[in-house]
Amino acid sequence: MKRVVPLEKALDATIFGSKAVGLGQAIRDGLPVPPGVALSGAIVEAVAAGEQPAIREVAKWARPLGGPLAVRSSAMDEDGNAASFAGQHLTLLNVPSADELSAALSKIWWSANSDSAITYRKRVGLFTRPSVGVVVQALLDPEAAGVLFTKNPVTGADERVIEASWGLGEAVVAGIVIPDHYRLDRSGQVLERKPGLKRVAVRGVPGGGTVEEQVPAERVERLCLGDDQLQELNRLAGRCEQVYGLARDVEWAFASGTLYLLQCRAITKAGR
Amino acid sequence: MRGAPVKVLQRVPLFADLTRSEVQQIARLFKERRFAEGETVVQEGSGGAAFFVIESGEATVAIRGKKKTTLKADDYFGEIAMIDEGPRMATITATTELVCYGLTYWDFRPLVEANGVIGWKLLQRMAQMLRDAREG
Repeated sequence: MKRVVPLEKALDATIFGSKAVGLGQAIRDGLPVPPGVALSGAIVEAVAAGEQPAIREVAKWARPLGGPLAVRSSAMDEDGNAASFAGQHLTLLNVPSADELSAALSKIWWSANSDSAITYRKRVGLFTRPSVGVVVQALLDPEAAGVLFTKNPVTGADERVIEASWGLGEAVVAGIVIPDHYRLDRSGQVLERKPGLKRVAVRGVPGGGTVEEQVPAERVERLCLGDDQLQELNRLAGRCEQVYGLARDVEWAFASGTLYLLQCRAITKAGR
Repeated sequence: MRGAPVKVLQRVPLFADLTRSEVQQIARLFKERRFAEGETVVQEGSGGAAFFVIESGEATVAIRGKKKTTLKADDYFGEIAMIDEGPRMATITATTELVCYGLTYWDFRPLVEANGVIGWKLLQRMAQMLRDAREG
């Protein structure tokens, strides 16, 4: 089914993938998700095959989002394996505009059909045709971003754990900085704040892609979240648990002073 | 442009017995794939998923770390992996921006399953290739 829908209308994880459906659910429940569209696996494949009607359709839907764009793979839920494709399928940040989208979608389609992805699929016992949905959103230019665990992923304690750094959250997710580390109890009481070593910030660059920008020396060990922001994150943790259930792993960003939810999934056994 | 160049596919031994029209059917299934300079195209020992034809650019072929040859426009690799998804025999690395056309196992298989004539010709050609290999 070659379809593009607003994120909030992405209902079927076998068509649009788990990330798209999860974010759609978040929007329907009033969580602060950046605007975006969900692309079905079939239309991603059609774009990768160079089909002009599909390319035009995708560009038409993406154009109102402006630019730059965050283009994220949204793995199909195949026998509960969607989460484990996170490392296999590509995410492309800072695609300059809707006109450059087809090249980005081609890369994502191939990431799901690459040698390593196919080898991985065989290892987990999947012998079906790979398909990957895509989420296209306006790319934020965050002051700070990171991850939030609604329950301690290491000790299992009933507390919030937040890891944060300057700029895009990829600096935290990819492990290229030692992020600030915070622990809060459920009431929002701060139990621990430990500054990290944030020598670089990941930022979008004009023309596409991202760059690791040097952080000024005085900000390297300065905490990037204040009390108000920690309280907002604690409230977001509570809302995510109401919507999705307990023990969530949340990616978030503060851009222009507003908190956004970028992704919410179950905490895996090994943490992240 | 959609699909791989037919004239290149007609040089692939596996497709030697196919008519131009049959090769055209296969050519249409290819999708463009671009690699950046320095990017690993395929890794020796890794499971293979697709057959590639080079449209433009260059890549080096290395086996156990030793460079063997250079690939350029109209060269191709991985046609057997497209059938069995078996391990790659060499590491191929793009030395310039590389534009390829790739055909995956999952795109090729339905065509062969639906077209017994193509399937039989491929089988005969593979039998011949096996004989040639045995005879050294």
